[in-house]
Amino acid sequence: MAGQVAIGSRSGLRSALPLLLPAYLWLTVAIFLPLSAMVFFSFMTELPLSGKAWAFTLDNYTAFFSQGLYLTLLLASLRLGLEVTLWCIVIGYPAAYVLAKVLKGRSREAIFLLVILPFWSNGLVRIFSWAMVLREGGILDTALNAVLPFKINIDLMYSYPAVIIGLVHSYVPYMVLTCYLTLQAIDDSLIEAGRSLGASRLQMLKRVIIPLSMPGLVAGAALIFVPVVGSFMEPRILGGRTGTFYGTVIEDQFVAVFNWPLGAALSFILLAVVLAILALAAPVLRRAA
Amino acid sequence: MATTRILEWIGRLYIGLLLAFLYLPIIIMALMSFNASPFYQLPFEWTTEWYASLWQNDQLISATWNSLEIAIITTVISVVLGSAASLALYRYDFPGKKFLQALLFPPIAIPWLITGTAMLIFFFGVGIGRGLFAILLGHVALALPYVIVVVSARLQTFAPELEEAARSLGANQWQVTRRVTLPWIMPGVIAGGLFAFAVSFDQFVVSYFLSTPGQTTLPVEIYAAIRKGFTPEINAVSTIIIVVSMALMLLTARFFKFGGEK
Amino acid sequence: MAGVQVSNVSRSFGAHKALDDVSIDFADGGFYALLGPSGSGKTTLLRQIAGFDFPDSGRIAIGGESVERVPVEKRRIGMVFQNYALFPNMSVADNVAFGLSVRGEAKAVIAAEVQRALDLVQLGKLGGRRPHQLSGGQRQRVALARAIVTKPRVLLLDEPLGALDKALRVDMQIELKRIQREIGITTIFVTHDQEEALTMSDRIGILRDGRLVQEGPPEEIYDSPKSEFAATFLGDANILRGDSTGNGIRLADGTTIAAGAGVSLAAGTKASCAVRPERIRIATDAGSTVQANGNVLRGQVSKRIFAGNNSTYFVERDGQTLKVIVQNTGIERLAEGQDVMLSWSPESTVLIAAS
Repeated sequence: MAGQVAIGSRSGLRSALPLLLPAYLWLTVAIFLPLSAMVFFSFMTELPLSGKAWAFTLDNYTAFFSQGLYLTLLLASLRLGLEVTLWCIVIGYPAAYVLAKVLKGRSREAIFLLVILPFWSNGLVRIFSWAMVLREGGILDTALNAVLPFKINIDLMYSYPAVIIGLVHSYVPYMVLTCYLTLQAIDDSLIEAGRSLGASRLQMLKRVIIPLSMPGLVAGAALIFVPVVGSFMEPRILGGRTGTFYGTVIEDQFVAVFNWPLGAALSFILLAVVLAILALAAPVLRRAA
Repeated sequence: MATTRILEWIGRLYIGLLLAFLYLPIIIMALMSFNASPFYQLPFEWTTEWYASLWQNDQLISATWNSLEIAIITTVISVVLGSAASLALYRYDFPGKKFLQALLFPPIAIPWLITGTAMLIFFFGVGIGRGLFAILLGHVALALPYVIVVVSARLQTFAPELEEAARSLGANQWQVTRRVTLPWIMPGVIAGGLFAFAVSFDQFVVSYFLSTPGQTTLPVEIYAAIRKGFTPEINAVSTIIIVVSMALMLLTARFFKFGGEK
Repeated sequence: MAGVQVSNVSRSFGAHKALDDVSIDFADGGFYALLGPSGSGKTTLLRQIAGFDFPDSGRIAIGGESVERVPVEKRRIGMVFQNYALFPNMSVADNVAFGLSVRGEAKAVIAAEVQRALDLVQLGKLGGRRPHQLSGGQRQRVALARAIVTKPRVLLLDEPLGALDKALRVDMQIELKRIQREIGITTIFVTHDQEEALTMSDRIGILRDGRLVQEGPPEEIYDSPKSEFAATFLGDANILRGDSTGNGIRLADGTTIAAGAGVSLAAGTKASCAVRPERIRIATDAGSTVQANGNVLRGQVSKRIFAGNNSTYFVERDGQTLKVIVQNTGIERLAEGQDVMLSWSPESTVLIAAS
């Protein structure tokens, strides 16, 4: 469509290059070369800086597989990712459905904006705000004790549920957004057609609406699962001691232990896992496009 | 009929609960920044003392300036480079175009933890090191794909015949771009710029790995403060940050419809 | 199969009266067209019969059973949508099978019924395709097969041919009519295309602003419209306005126009006469023969449009433009600017009370 210049021609590239080069050069220097460097360094004993002797090694990777700790933590992070994703589906999908198919007109647009607005605000601050709510003597504790006739102690702070709550809060707008976009694209006449053929609401949901919104569900799941597996700030703030995950271990290698080659290897393993997950999700997403 | 009504009301109630879940913690945090007790104790006593003491906190103030400066420069650079790249991807066809478009997704999809640590390793290796310049390099790279995606989406709604019409009237390539194409994609460019600003201003992970003491940004400084212990001062600065970024996104929404309706 | 009775149905959306006291009796096995401009309420009426929306007042019965509060999924109707509304995530066969399968029919029964329905619409071999692999006409047939496979009591069609191009439309009109005859199902068809309504249906209901304007067989409505709107909306008509003489009108210049028997109005009231353009004979002023009791008007040709087998003449007369359609017999051609005489019989004239 855009082919004002002969399609696929060299001259197209020649005209495009000056416009493309600066952006892609920047991406190369700040993203693609660093990612390659990370792979490279992950096979080294030491960083080749400050004159230290270094050599190529597989130790960083054998460390991952021989020390059960890293594998355990990776599994814990994957589980965390899975749980958060599931909660986001359970909470986000019905909300997206209500927004796309129940609410109408201007109120829908405004509410939709309200739902996804927090997503574009500072994640760190939002995690911190949960600390206010969840800690002992915090708002949840105080409020519940004011209402309930008996004394209970709510101290979710520094616990696994706290991490889950904080992460779900951070990522559920993603699920609402992606599901809303696919749900909204489903023509209302499809739902009417199904009902005219005698299908109940539940049957329509199961056989038409959910299958048709699958790309949104999968996109949302991938967009949530991937960053949650690599999260470290959220578990640190809300999980305290129980908040040790794969991401926090990588962080430690860079800011506390200063074993960068190991950190690079751990990062690369995470990257491989992430790419595998995205590759799994890709067919569903491509089918939608 | 009746069941439809009931389901509608359940739906509304549900959305209300979701909004409460999303906003209550933020509202509580903001309220606590106006509470006199340094240990968040109730009853609530109004004060602005925590905001006043922010002014005395040189570390926070310099981090804030850094954040603003980096966000503005990031916006300008990524909008210029990103719009140019979008135009090229829209206008020309050449071998490898699909590949270049696909390259935009890794920076968005890969967790920032991986991108951030990779940048740290590479910048150290080539002698750029850590600090504000490294942070700027990283932020622009993170913002660029967003700008290109948003501007390209706007360009999709642009009819190529308009450019052809302008050329048939004797306008050269630069005149066509400046007088026909740019005015059309302006809402996309502005939205992309606001996205870029938000990505940079709210960025924590990448800045965290690339900062050094003294050369740091506001979110990194807040994180350090949180780990030392909670104080209402953090609430105060957090409240300011969240108000700024939400206002920014409301502005973005005016230029860019998220809803997908064209 | 069953007839449909709509009695005194009204429906408002806010201040807008979408349906205003509409009553129609759709006979069992008939092919019925609801015709009207957009916003006339024809689609609203169809959706009331389908059960997507419920009337504020009035009664709707299918096969003698009151259904006005029964939701669509329990009404046992079949519907074909304007954009076909085929489920994109299912194959053609699964689309057709959907209605049977949500009723919990046995797999073997479903397979046999689906094949029968697909054979009926001549798509027996395409069951494995996806909707997006089909042409517009094929999708239309799948939508039809899907709607009739459940043996509904009534078939509702919402401008089903609107998305097809002209040649395909004509094919589908014939096809639709054939299938409807074959299964003998009561069919209600919404359209804004008068030609489609005329050629396909046994009866036509014309709607305007939420009210039923006229209802009857196509010939009856065409030959004796009861309002200026019905006359001009279904087919072309010249409207002459004046004062009633009982069985005709007197124009402002004193000329009287006689109308056919059947309608008579009190003399002196405002009234109009409708004449179809193809019923008027046009001739040069001099030397033409005039029927003894015929209607005659003189005028001047202002424009002639040649359309192959016929020509349309626009004739100016007393500030009004009359339209005359003449078959091209090759005998005479009238030039623009020529004075002409128009004549037609009272039987071709319909007297209409002023609205």
